[in-house]
Amino acid sequence: MDTIVAVSTPPGRSAIAVVRLSGPQSLAILRVLVQEEQFAPEPNHVTLKKLLAESSNDLIDEALVTYFQSPHSFTGEDMVEISCHGSPVILRQLIDLIQSQEARLAEPGEFTLRACRNGKMNLSQAEAIRDLINAQTQAAAAQAKRQLRGELSEALQPSKQELIRMIVTLESAVEFVEDDLPAVQVEEMSKTLGRVTSRLASLAETYQAGRLLREGLRVTIVGRPNVGKSSLFNNLVRTERAIVTDVAGTTRDSLTEAISLQGIPVSLTDTAGFREAGDKIEAIGIERTRRAMADADLLIVVIDGSCSLQDEDVEVLKEAREHSFIIAISKGDLPRVLTLDGQLNGTQVVHVSAMSGEGMPDLMAAILEPFGSDSGSVGLLITDSRHYDLLTRAKSNLEKASRSMAQGAGEEIVLADLHNALRFLGAITGETTSEDILSEIFASFCIGK
Amino acid sequence: MIMAFDEAFDVVVIGGGHAGCEAASASARLGASTALVTLNLDLIGQMSCNPAVGGIAKGHLVREIDALGGIMGRVIDRTGIQFRLLNRSRGPAVQSPRAQADRALYRLEMRTTLENTPNLSLRQGMVVDLLIANKGVRGVVMQDGRRIGAKAIVIAAGTFLNGLIHTGRQTYTAGRAGEPASIELAAALKRLGFPVGRLKTGTPPRLDGRTINWDAFQSQQADERPVAFSFSTDKIEQAQIDCYIGYTTADVHAAIRKNLHESPLYSGQIKGVGPRYCPSIEDKVVKFADKDRHQLFLEPEGHDTNEVYLNGFSTSLPPGLQQELVRMIPGLETANIIRPGYAIEYDYVDPRELGPDLQVRSIAGLFHAGQINGTTGYEEAACQGLLAGINAAVMVQGRPRFGLRREEAYIGVLVDDLITQGVDEPYRIFTSRAEYRLALRHDNADERLSKYGREIGLVGDSDWDRFNQRRDRIARIKGSLETTRVRKSDSAYAALAEKTALNGIESLTLAELAKRPGISSSIILLLLPVEFRSGASVEDLEFALADNLYSGYIKSQESVIHRLHAHDTLPIPTNLDFRTLNGLSHEMAERLERAKPVTFGAARRIPGLTPAALATLLVNVSTGP
Repeated sequence: MDTIVAVSTPPGRSAIAVVRLSGPQSLAILRVLVQEEQFAPEPNHVTLKKLLAESSNDLIDEALVTYFQSPHSFTGEDMVEISCHGSPVILRQLIDLIQSQEARLAEPGEFTLRACRNGKMNLSQAEAIRDLINAQTQAAAAQAKRQLRGELSEALQPSKQELIRMIVTLESAVEFVEDDLPAVQVEEMSKTLGRVTSRLASLAETYQAGRLLREGLRVTIVGRPNVGKSSLFNNLVRTERAIVTDVAGTTRDSLTEAISLQGIPVSLTDTAGFREAGDKIEAIGIERTRRAMADADLLIVVIDGSCSLQDEDVEVLKEAREHSFIIAISKGDLPRVLTLDGQLNGTQVVHVSAMSGEGMPDLMAAILEPFGSDSGSVGLLITDSRHYDLLTRAKSNLEKASRSMAQGAGEEIVLADLHNALRFLGAITGETTSEDILSEIFASFCIGK
Repeated sequence: MIMAFDEAFDVVVIGGGHAGCEAASASARLGASTALVTLNLDLIGQMSCNPAVGGIAKGHLVREIDALGGIMGRVIDRTGIQFRLLNRSRGPAVQSPRAQADRALYRLEMRTTLENTPNLSLRQGMVVDLLIANKGVRGVVMQDGRRIGAKAIVIAAGTFLNGLIHTGRQTYTAGRAGEPASIELAAALKRLGFPVGRLKTGTPPRLDGRTINWDAFQSQQADERPVAFSFSTDKIEQAQIDCYIGYTTADVHAAIRKNLHESPLYSGQIKGVGPRYCPSIEDKVVKFADKDRHQLFLEPEGHDTNEVYLNGFSTSLPPGLQQELVRMIPGLETANIIRPGYAIEYDYVDPRELGPDLQVRSIAGLFHAGQINGTTGYEEAACQGLLAGINAAVMVQGRPRFGLRREEAYIGVLVDDLITQGVDEPYRIFTSRAEYRLALRHDNADERLSKYGREIGLVGDSDWDRFNQRRDRIARIKGSLETTRVRKSDSAYAALAEKTALNGIESLTLAELAKRPGISSSIILLLLPVEFRSGASVEDLEFALADNLYSGYIKSQESVIHRLHAHDTLPIPTNLDFRTLNGLSHEMAERLERAKPVTFGAARRIPGLTPAALATLLVNVSTGP
């Protein structure tokens, strides 16, 4: 039985979120998370631990962890529960890290399913089980329906067909050695293989944007006080929501508004200006700004274009460097003083005026850049982490097949990886059986003595 | 019910073909008193189609039969006249032995083998009915009125059930050319309520070898180093012969097309479905119209006969036309046909009626094996016969039933496919049907299966000793591959670096070296320490190298399959009534009832089951009864 992981609390920001692991590797994975090989928590006892990123040892979060030893757990397997802060960023980091270990994302209802399998529940506890059956059935039915007219499945068809063609050719060569078949064109096949691989790769790459599309893009506006963050925010939100005055430090708290930029959900946050805190309230505001920065997918660093670059601006840029960011040079309606040449290393810079609206389309385009240049008609994006996972695995199997072929490995070895790739694609598009392959062979070649 | 019998046995096997022979032999050797009832004792083990055993995947089956203690491998090893290891230049997992048999010798050897089997009685006659009481078998009724009692029955009737032969517009009932069909037994099966379908197969004409211009054909020789089917065979004794390859021409194709109306296949006369991978020449010409030639093999049928099998020219056209067409083939201008080709239609019973032990689920003690289950091929038939014979005997003896899983044997793949998916054309084994092809090699069948054969009681002491010795030898070689290193300082290093890219690696084991492109087994043999080099057989070394080559791929494949199909091994209770499951549509429940899958994996492979139905089933089988 493999180890599964899932966030067990509802999606979105919350004070606390719970991540659950179930399966034989649960404790081993927890040891990786806390970076203690000997960590031996007492079962059913809560411990406060630091969770660290595996490679950098950076702190991900401080969390309460609990280990449940098999069979004394909800699923009957070894389990670990992690109660951490409910930030999507933390959760994403944590889940990514856990998945990079020997665990995979749980399917809907899988924890309950395991509980059933291990006799932790039985059929006579009918109510719960029936609900589960219904949930599973509906989810699966919905999934099947989506796949029937599914865009993703359709988009994968050409790749899948080419993959099947390759399999058919190689299988025929192996299986019908006594028949008079055309020789396998290795060079042509490796070209096809490369083409299919890169097609899958570019589809997988859209997950970055696809995830943003599903969860919403988190954009945070930062800058030193009084550079025009709130004016920009208001222009984007198109209401006089934030309090705008020319007294520095008016926005003491972070303000968040959900907007739709060309159909893409964006959660836009205005923050308190970044500077040495004048009073306690401002200090709290700045701490909040830091947190909003950490949660953001993209920062807009606002710099006043009507005066020269200040030390505080440099401070903000330094903080921003840790994240993905763009620069908005504000107050374009005033005479421009600022020059920023040579300091930007390819970061995108947009000149805007919140007053006149000048440059605002450029700013929106810069925000939506991850969705492609023509964001008005977003193409097919991978939005489901499971699909992403399957595509990535299919791709890596194709790469392996390609390497084997280049080294002159036998057909059966190349086929092993091609079949693996097909299995992964099949988990998205529906399975291809060996009978399907054979039918294709008999339709293509005259087989049989 | 009180029944009077003329004689009684534990197990009665109906049919003396390849399935029946294995079934009778296994059952008798397991200690069950067994009768093999056949229409003609002189035709036991008859090869009704091409005179050859093995081929890709089929050869694997024969070696599995042998590893389990069956007889087909031994018989062909003693009577094979052209041994060839197919795919010799390809990877070890897809290599497979094939041997052409001396048809008459094979038949005699098989009969001798059966006659010398204790507990086994041969009976000539035709079974016309089955005696069933209380949903269990009691015996069989013969055409001459004899009644034979039986606690278990294996039906292995081949193409005889309602057999109907076609040549041109002529049809006549027959089991094979020149032998009567089993009409009453087929009717009895229908009376028992089994779903019966119709399949078709065909055979090419046989030629008089004295009338063939052999020089017009390209000869194909036997292997210099024949690979035997049986793990017990040390040496192939039969003198080896050549076969010959030729081609049809566009003229032949045109003539066939012109006469298609004479073909029962195209006139609508034949209703049964034929195998796509063994098409008649009519089918080849119609379906692959752009091919201007089709390959033919001329296979001499034995040392002491002039009869030649025209492989690749299966046809049911009228005999006179067959003769004309044959003479249009280059090299056959003066050839005479001895026996015309024909097509035969026959009944089969939906194999979804069977459990994994090949016992009919609705009648205790009734087993089906071979073409009655919709398969084609001697090897496919034989492995089912072996399984049915074993299970008939152990059922009578009150011992646990025997079955094989997909991941451990091609036999497991074949049976699972049959009983969960049924057939819509004659079923043939292919290596691509096996998910775990890399692990199921022909040369490791003993490692996979001999333990079962031993446990059941079919593998004798000497075979078991031989297996253990071989296993130990291979283990020693494997150990040596892991521990012997080639170092940069070794004299061989430079020579190796010319064969494969070593990129200046300081040292590597022979196991690592062997996986690199350009490194053959003979190179590895030279690098083995002296004590291994002298003792090691090439076969042992190649076995060890194949394990070494595939181990990583097998592991990664296992993890993929496990990731995607983690629930496949979950058992489904045999008494589960799928119609009672909450949330299953009527149609889905029917499909499941039809196939009666025994594991969740088997359910997953049932065609037409929706993901929703599978999810519902999964939850239910996970909770257990």
